[in-house]
Amino acid sequence: MDTQGTFRQTVEPALVRRLQRGELAAFETIYRRFERAAWTLALRLTGRADVAQEVLQDAMLKAFERARQFRGDAPFAAWLRKLVVNEALMQLRHDRLHVIELFDETHADDDAPAPWAHADSATLDRALNRLPDAARAVLWLYHVEGYTHLEIAEQFGRSTSFSKSQLARATKRLRELLAPQAEDTPCTIGSTTTA
Amino acid sequence: MHDRLDHHRMTGDASLAAALRALPASTPARDAWPELASRIRRRRVVRKAVWFTLPAAFAAGMALTLAWPHLQRSTASPAPVRVAMQSSSHATPPAAPDIDALQASSQQWQAWVQTLDRDGAPLDGRQLTQAVALQDRIGLVDLQLSAARNPSTTVGLWQQRITLLQQLGLLHLQPYLVATQRPASHDHLISM
Repeated sequence: MDTQGTFRQTVEPALVRRLQRGELAAFETIYRRFERAAWTLALRLTGRADVAQEVLQDAMLKAFERARQFRGDAPFAAWLRKLVVNEALMQLRHDRLHVIELFDETHADDDAPAPWAHADSATLDRALNRLPDAARAVLWLYHVEGYTHLEIAEQFGRSTSFSKSQLARATKRLRELLAPQAEDTPCTIGSTTTA
Repeated sequence: MHDRLDHHRMTGDASLAAALRALPASTPARDAWPELASRIRRRRVVRKAVWFTLPAAFAAGMALTLAWPHLQRSTASPAPVRVAMQSSSHATPPAAPDIDALQASSQQWQAWVQTLDRDGAPLDGRQLTQAVALQDRIGLVDLQLSAARNPSTTVGLWQQRITLLQQLGLLHLQPYLVATQRPASHDHLISM
């Protein structure tokens, strides 16, 4: 499996030790290895390239400066991933997270077909970026990063109800955004953010 | 019925998770490493500067704080008698050691400020204006010092000079303090 661009990569303990000694060359090796993964995660959570760039920089800077705090009881990649998530959520909280769009409270139609199953990646990417920040971040953390509602709630400093409702609303909104696309114009929308 | 719905929801969740995970990884538009490496180097320089200069500044400040009551005591006037004695003898040693201590302290502060001025982060427009104003005031104090004859006036002027240098030094440290400051509320997020 191609792990390029993901956090499913191991970092040799010797490399981590060199990083912890403050060796810039060791850090560059690690940076190059995780640059795409960190950038992609930042972009998915924040939805904006300029903010993602800032998140990438700040998270990596923290990784370098706090490398000595890494105790090795979890994989280094997981530690780095958490730094990126924290930094991205911090940016959202700083900049825009207070703008939590209110959705129609009606429940999603659970029997409706899942439009994402038929949508191409560019269309799904676009729809994802049209979600409000909090909803998109919760959706991504829950489905892709494997966070529980409790963990998401802690990250946001909110209740688990917040996490659950944001997830339900994001899923419903995603259905709405993808449904006409899937029916009318499948596989035609290009994207500039994916490589 | 519930089982069917739950199953459907789980299937829907799984398909959404699969679709999201299948999104391709992105690549940043530009290589961020040079900028990141540069930030790291800059922060190293700043950290060194702060760590080397702050203890010296702190020590000088502490020394001055400890010495100040003594300086004040020795220069405070048992006024009429002392003045009378001075005017009669014209040879009173004007608290010379105390002035020496103040001069030495002033030199230390000045060296520290010069180091920060030479090697430190550039000041922004507002800070630069404040720095110029402080330097002008130091120049004025120097002028007054050159004309001062009264020991108590001299001591007061040296003290004033040191205070101004301290303010100037702190002004030069401001960019570093601002650069390293992050809201405390963020720290709890990093907890692994």
